[in-house]
Amino acid sequence: MIRLKKINNFEYFAPSTLSEAVSLLAKYKERAKVFSGGTDLLVQMKQRKLTPEYVIDLKNISELNNIDYKEGEGLRIGATVTHGILASSQLLPEKFSLLKEASLAVGSVQTRNRGTIVGNIATSSPSADTPPALLALEARLKLVSADGERVVPIQDFFTTPFKNILQSTELITEIEIPDLPPNSRGVYLWHSKITAEDETLVGVGIVLTVDNMEDKICTHIGIGLGSVAPTPMRAEKAEDFLKGKRVDADIIKQTAEIASNESLPRSRAEYRKEMVKVHIRRALIRALKRIEE
Amino acid sequence: MAHLVNIKVNINGDYYELKVKPNTLLLDLLRNEVGLTGTKRGCDTGECGACTVLIDGLAVNSCLVLAAEVNGKNVTTIEGLAKNGNLHPLQESFMEEGASQCGFCTPGMILSAKALLDKNPNPTEEEIKIAISGNLCRCTGYKKIIKAINSAAHKMYC
Repeated sequence: MIRLKKINNFEYFAPSTLSEAVSLLAKYKERAKVFSGGTDLLVQMKQRKLTPEYVIDLKNISELNNIDYKEGEGLRIGATVTHGILASSQLLPEKFSLLKEASLAVGSVQTRNRGTIVGNIATSSPSADTPPALLALEARLKLVSADGERVVPIQDFFTTPFKNILQSTELITEIEIPDLPPNSRGVYLWHSKITAEDETLVGVGIVLTVDNMEDKICTHIGIGLGSVAPTPMRAEKAEDFLKGKRVDADIIKQTAEIASNESLPRSRAEYRKEMVKVHIRRALIRALKRIEE
Repeated sequence: MAHLVNIKVNINGDYYELKVKPNTLLLDLLRNEVGLTGTKRGCDTGECGACTVLIDGLAVNSCLVLAAEVNGKNVTTIEGLAKNGNLHPLQESFMEEGASQCGFCTPGMILSAKALLDKNPNPTEEEIKIAISGNLCRCTGYKKIIKAINSAAHKMYC
C-alpha cells in the first residue's frame, strides 16, 4: 500500500492546437507531463512518483479526438479517444471488434469514461489490455514533437516495464491501424487477478486471416500477448508457425504451445504460460467462427 | 507560483464562476469549496467509485479529475437528483429496497445507475452489474442494490 499525498501544484495548460502543445513540450521537456484521462497520471502524482511542474491537457485539441476509418487505408484513433468512446463507436467495422473487447477489459465504467487508448500505451504497463490487441493488428504510433514526426510500429515502442521510446519532447498523437483483408477477424481474451484493481493476469489478442472457409489456410496472423513478459509482446514464433497452414485443431494446439513457450512471465510463470495456451486456443477457434459468420 | 485557472461550470443546474488552483481535484472543489459533501472520498485512486459524479452525463471518479478540467461542463452530484423536494426514483428505490447500509457508497452507486438508466432505460441484470462494477459496497452485498436499480427503471420508464 503506497501512501497517497496531495498532488503537487503545477502550471496547467489546455492548448487548443497541437502546435501549441508540442512547443510547450519543447520548452519544458521532462518538467512537463502530457495529460488526457488522468487515470494513471493523477494516481502517480498522488503517490509522488511524478511531480511535474507543468501539465499539458490535450482534451481541447479537437483534431486528437477522432476515430476515422477508411476502407483500404485503415483505422486511426486519436490521442484523446477514451475507452468508452471507442467501445461504443459505430465507426469501427466488425472486423476490428477485438479493439472494443480490449477497451472494455480496462478498469470500470468510470475509468473507461476518462482513460484513453493512447494513454494506456503511454503508461506502458506490461499488463495493459489494449497493447496485445494493437500488436496483433500491427498498429503504428505517430509521435510528434516541435521538430517533426515519426511513425513507429507499436512492437518497437515498449522497452521495459512502464518504459518506452517516447522522448520528453514528443507526444503520441494517434494510432494508425492498417485495414484488414477479407476473411479476417480478431479476438481479445483475458482474465484478471482477483484483487481490487482486477489487473489483467494474461491477455491475448489475435487477428486471423484465412484464404477461404473451405481450405482455412492461414494467410496472415498477428498474436499479441499481455502480462506475460516485461513488456507487451508479439508471439512471433507462433505467428511464423501458423502462417501458410490449415487452421485445424492440431495446428491450433501446436500454435498455442509455441506461443506459451516464447512468453516470458516472471511471477506465477507456470500458470500464466498454461493460460496463454488456453486463451490462444480459444481465441483462434473464436476468430474462425467469426470469419464463418 | 502556479496561476489560478478560471472556470465556468454548471453544477446541478447552478452556474458557478470560480478560480481554482491547478492541483485542486474536482472532488475537493465539490466538497470544500462548493459545499456539496454528498460526494465521498474513498480510495482516492479511482478504484472504489465512492466519489462518482456525472460530467456531461458520463460517470467519472471525481478524485481523478482536476477542477480546472470541468470548465464549460455540466456536473451532476447526488445533491442534484431530487427535484422540488421529490426524491429521484433511484433514491426512492434504494430506500424501499434497503439498498443502503452505511451509505458511504450510495451516492456514487446511484450516480452510476443514473448514467446507465439515462442511456439504457431497460437494462438487463448483467448490464446493471457492469454499470456498477466500478462502485464497491462493503456492507450489503449487491443484491438489493441491483434490485433497487431494476425497480427504479420500471418506475421511470414503464
